[in-house]
Amino acid sequence: MTDVAEAPRSIGQIVDDALEPSPFQKLRKRIFGNYSFLLGLIILLTIIAVAVLAPFLAPHDPYETDLASRLQNPFWHEKKVDPDHLLGTDKVGRDYLSRLIYGAQISLLIGFSTMLISGIIGTVLGVTAGYFGGRVDMVVNFIINTRLAMPVFLVAMAAVVAFGASLMVVILVLGLFLWDRFAVVMRSITMQARDLDYVKAARAMGCSTPYIIVREIFPNVLGSLTVVATVEMANAILLEAALSFLGFGVQAPTPSWGLMLNEAREYMFFSPWLLALPGACLFFLVLAINLFGDGLRDVTLEKGR
Amino acid sequence: MKLIRLAVVAGFAASLTAAPALAGPDDDSLTVAWGSTGPIENVDNYFNTNRTGIWFSRMVWDQLIYREPKTFEYKPLLAESWEALSDTTWQFKLRQGVKFHNGEPFDADDVVFTLNWVSNPENGVKVQRNVDWIESAEKVDQYTVNIHMKKPFPQAFEFLSGPLTIYPNEYYAEVGPDGMHKAPVGTGPMKVVSVKTAEEYVFEKNTDYTWGSPKGEAQVSKLTVREIADVQTQIAELLAGGIDITADISADHVDQIGGVPGFTAMQAGTMRTGYIGFDAAGRGNFEPTTKLEVRKAMAMAINRQSLVENLIRGDAGVIHTPCFPTQFGCDEGAAVKWDYNPEKAKELLASAGYPDGFEIDFYTFRPADWAEAIMADLAKVGIKASLTKMPYFALRDKQRNEGTTPMFLMDWGSYSMNDMSAITSHFFKKGADDFALDDEVAAWLEEGDTSSDPEVRKAAYAKAIGKITGEVYWLPMFNHVRNYGFNERLAFIPYQDEIPRFWQYGWGGS
Amino acid sequence: MLAYALKRSFSAFLILIVVSALTFSLSHLSADPALTIGGEQASDEDIQAIRDLYGFDRPIYIQYIDWAARAMSGDFGESYHYGERVSTMIAGRIGTTMTLGVLAILFALAVSIPLGVVAAMRPNSLLDRFALLIAVLGQALPTFWFALMMIIVFGVWWRWLPISGNDTWAHFVMPTIALGYYATPALMRLTRAGMIEVLGSDYVRTARAKGLSPTVVLFKHALRNAIIPVVALAAVWFGFMLGGSIVIETIFNLKGLGWLSYDALLRSDLPVVQAIVLIFASFYVVLTLAADLLNAWLDPRISVR
Repeated sequence: MTDVAEAPRSIGQIVDDALEPSPFQKLRKRIFGNYSFLLGLIILLTIIAVAVLAPFLAPHDPYETDLASRLQNPFWHEKKVDPDHLLGTDKVGRDYLSRLIYGAQISLLIGFSTMLISGIIGTVLGVTAGYFGGRVDMVVNFIINTRLAMPVFLVAMAAVVAFGASLMVVILVLGLFLWDRFAVVMRSITMQARDLDYVKAARAMGCSTPYIIVREIFPNVLGSLTVVATVEMANAILLEAALSFLGFGVQAPTPSWGLMLNEAREYMFFSPWLLALPGACLFFLVLAINLFGDGLRDVTLEKGR
Repeated sequence: MKLIRLAVVAGFAASLTAAPALAGPDDDSLTVAWGSTGPIENVDNYFNTNRTGIWFSRMVWDQLIYREPKTFEYKPLLAESWEALSDTTWQFKLRQGVKFHNGEPFDADDVVFTLNWVSNPENGVKVQRNVDWIESAEKVDQYTVNIHMKKPFPQAFEFLSGPLTIYPNEYYAEVGPDGMHKAPVGTGPMKVVSVKTAEEYVFEKNTDYTWGSPKGEAQVSKLTVREIADVQTQIAELLAGGIDITADISADHVDQIGGVPGFTAMQAGTMRTGYIGFDAAGRGNFEPTTKLEVRKAMAMAINRQSLVENLIRGDAGVIHTPCFPTQFGCDEGAAVKWDYNPEKAKELLASAGYPDGFEIDFYTFRPADWAEAIMADLAKVGIKASLTKMPYFALRDKQRNEGTTPMFLMDWGSYSMNDMSAITSHFFKKGADDFALDDEVAAWLEEGDTSSDPEVRKAAYAKAIGKITGEVYWLPMFNHVRNYGFNERLAFIPYQDEIPRFWQYGWGGS
Repeated sequence: MLAYALKRSFSAFLILIVVSALTFSLSHLSADPALTIGGEQASDEDIQAIRDLYGFDRPIYIQYIDWAARAMSGDFGESYHYGERVSTMIAGRIGTTMTLGVLAILFALAVSIPLGVVAAMRPNSLLDRFALLIAVLGQALPTFWFALMMIIVFGVWWRWLPISGNDTWAHFVMPTIALGYYATPALMRLTRAGMIEVLGSDYVRTARAKGLSPTVVLFKHALRNAIIPVVALAAVWFGFMLGGSIVIETIFNLKGLGWLSYDALLRSDLPVVQAIVLIFASFYVVLTLAADLLNAWLDPRISVR
């Protein structure tokens, strides 16, 4: 089952350090020698900046409708362009650029919150299983397998129908479903860490279990944790988009990119930019998170196995 | 981006010159896509509640009476003439020489069997309201039938010309609803060749349909209907030549598809009436909507005219009655009209004790843009509405079962019946869908539903309309528009009763 | 070995019970089934009669046990909406979904294995980076968005491929690509990683030293070993794909299980939703069980653990 969580390798992993520089130089070289990491980081920071500064960047209120100026064309369109709306307006006359800008907040909020919830669940389960082993491990393994057997998308849709669609419900549902990779990875890493000499030593010295987990094991797994976190964050953002796309996600008029795609579908043949723009935003955000995650693995983790 | 636009234009140009004859005029066939609200669960007319189920039934079966779709006059169909024998009995003379698709001749036995079978509650017809007024049907001779009603039922002809299709007695007795679903048999202009549930229905022209039916003979020899749930997929198929007509597109699509060479799009108003309902009875224990001043304020805060002009378009208009004005009894003069007046709305809110407005949950199953425009209007007077868009069935469950919907944008197609009992009486006679629970209104509607004197009916309905609109139990919004997109060579005819007659559409040349 | 197989089978069975129990309680939260069955016109007495008939007034765990007992004999009850046997409906729809799933996974393997092998032969080369680029980009592309773009280009503009339905093999081309491409990055990375490892191993070096031709070494020795985990992962992905077919089937109007579950969710048709969740879960459980047993058979140490 660990195959599922098999951490994919990346471009940077192959880069070999030919020389033997100082640790600091090594780190700096790893960071700057790793283009994918840098690129991911830059895009991600840009999107985060856009989300944080949305109130200052957005030219309009993303919720303000104006039926009289609906479906305005974007600036590159030859005919009838409203200079007030750079990227045009949607079908109730809201400024498309402003909605895209605020959409970054929603996607990041969903990504981070889901990641936090699933990260906590998965880490607790994984570390517990890995540290204690035996029966505890068996039970956790069973829980992981049960979760993996559930068709996530279908069950998430059923849960949204049951509890009503809203941002909160979507975050909770995804958070409760996407912890499997955390659990699997944490479990195997904790198992390895448990047998490390200094952990053994700590145990021999009579340190309490929570102390060992927090002080000795946790620093060891932090790197892998971050890598898994990026994967799950990207996953959550894509799943929310798909749910919203089918109408089982967040509610209008929330400026979610997935929901904007859902609304833009109506115009896909004739105003394709309405579909292309939020799609591109999603693509770049997920791409940035993936690149960042891949790069992070190379930068933080010691090379080799 | 210029490049992309160029590609779009080039793409369309290329697709036009290519124009493969997948469907269309060349082989005398017509391909239709429908199904955006879900496939027909059972094509047996008495065992589905889909709008498309009505479209299907008009092709395959006939009723005793024909309702002229433009004037709503009643004309002979399977019955040649009729007369009232008493308050509760009508006698019908049947047409001779009509045959079912399986060769079975049509006569009084078929009518008697069909009406008695469907009106028997044990047989579980889905819409009991369509049949529960029938006491019995009785054969007088081979071509004469008496229909007895439980009580005077003035809307009877709406049902006899609408949902009550006549089945072949021997065949239906043998196969039942399951068999009728698999291989439907009727007298109508199209014969069913095959039924693939939720996927495809194939029809061919009924060449025996030559007895002068006002419905007219089929214009194509083969007709295929594809159930396609996704409207965008329907449009893609239309543009790519996979289908010839769709009736599920939006108002914006009409402009867009109409602009593509080779295609025409058209809007046709329907009697489907949209409304905002308020929980005036306090079923969900939400305080503000139980106050008349609040409901009045909300009625005046919403700019219905702008909504209709910008989002619905076509021949839609603002409606002031809790029914559609062509429907019997639906007197616009009796309605209290609420004009857009946000200033007055604010004053009313303040005097109701909500100077700063309030928060409210707003429910709909329709595209969010209509609701979003309404929410923006409400926000201007300080009312913060948060939208919950739900699947239709889930929303109806919530309303009927829990009643926790303080405000909802819904609509009702009246099963295409031109009588206001089909809508107003459904919602205001204290059933599970009633959020007013007004005894007076319920009593007036009951009087209107059961009196055989048209004037008495009108008077009773007028009182109900006056109170429903005066108390703002509903804020009637607008009538819906059906939007059709089709191959420009198709001779399409729109109808106001939301029933496209697909068999009538032939290839007109050009 | 037998004991291990029994233990694993029992655990798989237990997983299905937990999954179905969770779905059962989840879906029963969402709607009053009596109202759904009764329809719009049902009176309060009708509703009560339906409740009595179906036993909806009983405690939920009794209802579940009742349902599970029948489900084990293949009886999933009747659809509330269609009035048909759920088992008949599923039997009529599963073919489409299976065809789509198998084609999609074959497509994914056909793309990812050659790419992975080529990338592994020249690590860090331009080709390798290109392959990884495709993988990274592919992972960031929302499936449904990709599907829509294909419809616009290949369906509407060029009219190369039919857009909706399942009449001919051509109808499956776009859905297959849309569903399959999402699995390619993971499979490709695994192939690449496996190949790099195998190519560096002693016995490949030995084979080379013996003077065998590079082609023979590559295909006979290296690929055969590297491909086993890829196929195992593909089996797991196949299970995921069945669940992921919801969006694709809806877009391409393929009337398979994915579409059926979507339609059933819209109508609160609970028996159908429950049955499909169970079927998707069973696929996953059976496939992983088979993979595990195969592994155990190949590597006897596993069953001892």
